[in-house]
Amino acid sequence: MTKFLKIMVPVLVLALSFKVDAQVVGSLGDVQMDETELYTMTKQMSQFINRFNYEEDPYGKRLYPKDADYRSAEKRKDALPLLFDLDNPRTSGTLRDFFVEDLTKNNNQFMDFLGGDWFSEVSAKFIWKGKEVDISLIMAIEKEGLGSKWVITNVFFSEFQKHFPQGELAEREKHFLHPMSHELDFMNIYKVFNDPQIVEYYASNDYQPDYLTLFFYEIKQGNLKFDHVESVKFHIFQIQNWYFEVSWFNRSGYNSGWLISNLIYLKNPEKEVLIKLYQPKK
Amino acid sequence: MKKLVFALAFAFLALSGHQLFAQEPELSPERKQAIDSLALEKVRDLSKYVKLIGSKNTPWSEANRVIDRAEELFAPDAEIGVSSLAKTKVEYYKVRKYLERLMRLNYDRVEIDWYKIQYVSDLQRQPDGTYVGVITVFQTFKGYDAEGRLVYQDTTKKDITVYVKRKETQIGGRLIGFWDVMLGDMRVKETTHK
Repeated sequence: MTKFLKIMVPVLVLALSFKVDAQVVGSLGDVQMDETELYTMTKQMSQFINRFNYEEDPYGKRLYPKDADYRSAEKRKDALPLLFDLDNPRTSGTLRDFFVEDLTKNNNQFMDFLGGDWFSEVSAKFIWKGKEVDISLIMAIEKEGLGSKWVITNVFFSEFQKHFPQGELAEREKHFLHPMSHELDFMNIYKVFNDPQIVEYYASNDYQPDYLTLFFYEIKQGNLKFDHVESVKFHIFQIQNWYFEVSWFNRSGYNSGWLISNLIYLKNPEKEVLIKLYQPKK
Repeated sequence: MKKLVFALAFAFLALSGHQLFAQEPELSPERKQAIDSLALEKVRDLSKYVKLIGSKNTPWSEANRVIDRAEELFAPDAEIGVSSLAKTKVEYYKVRKYLERLMRLNYDRVEIDWYKIQYVSDLQRQPDGTYVGVITVFQTFKGYDAEGRLVYQDTTKKDITVYVKRKETQIGGRLIGFWDVMLGDMRVKETTHK
């Protein structure tokens, strides 16, 4: 309860005190209703990044390097907890406090739009061979020309993944073409194709299935048709030894919009493995 | 006064921004704020037009003229993507179609109001060098029947793409640079806020 108050008191003070709010100056507004909830909502991922870095003050004013409070460690310490989903015990407990402490101790880690190592996961519905299926598209920002763009780096589709199970090592090791097969004009090569489910056992040990190519192939073949986007979330790997996920919370109250929905302490080597899933060809 | 500030911001941008597009990788905070004002001016125009188009007091012919004006704020291929709490699948409309639907809504009286809250993102450059940003605004909609009863209401979050491009024009034989602001796709999402 004390922890809850510790979070909510600054939220309410912040929310109720805005009179000359920078988000309001020169606005088009004519609504005379309470706007506090909309003010506290983290309305865009851009705003999440600015709030995360403390490049926006509690009144919504954008802070620049020349401003005294720009990226202030002390103020950031108060602002960061407000970016978590407070309804979720996984993102509102001790781990969150460690994360905030870790970030503000040296106060030298910030989110960077063009810094790489952050991904968007677009969960979408497709029609595959006549039935509706769920596919997640993994997207990343890539620099190009004078600017940047979002690109697809991988896809998660159970129908693809199920064809490439890891398989038991002992079983995998039973399947090979002996090293003198060439002398027999590869007369034994038919064995590769005997069981289509394990055909990849005959590939190099380095082989990794390329789901993105499979995806493009199915699209080109006309087997897979886009229907609509269901939801979007973000996976952030930019902070040393941490991974967190940001999701959209469309709800009333003072804790809504883009918020941290998952937080994991992750040592960098483990993080690299995870990043490979999102961006296999880096 | 607002018009004067806008005119000064425009003049400042027009005169000082000359040949900056290719050379300047980052916009200074001052220039960014001035561009934000230009972009917000477009969104403000749009908000006024939407109110007029939606109002049952606006004559049909006048509403059509306002639709023309509103359409001019957008890039030609801009689309409006709409979803509600009940129907999360996004429906796509061309700008004109969206505004015409608004004009034809079957209520006896409509109230459209805009919240004072707005959020303007940082501007990012796309590969061709055009700056792109998103302005978020919130709108309330109320529809009443002939007896004056409120039969429908919602609050929507509108995320509006803004394209900002450096252009040049010749005035009196002199090349003058200016920032051209154009609205792009708009995502309309219903919120739980009432």
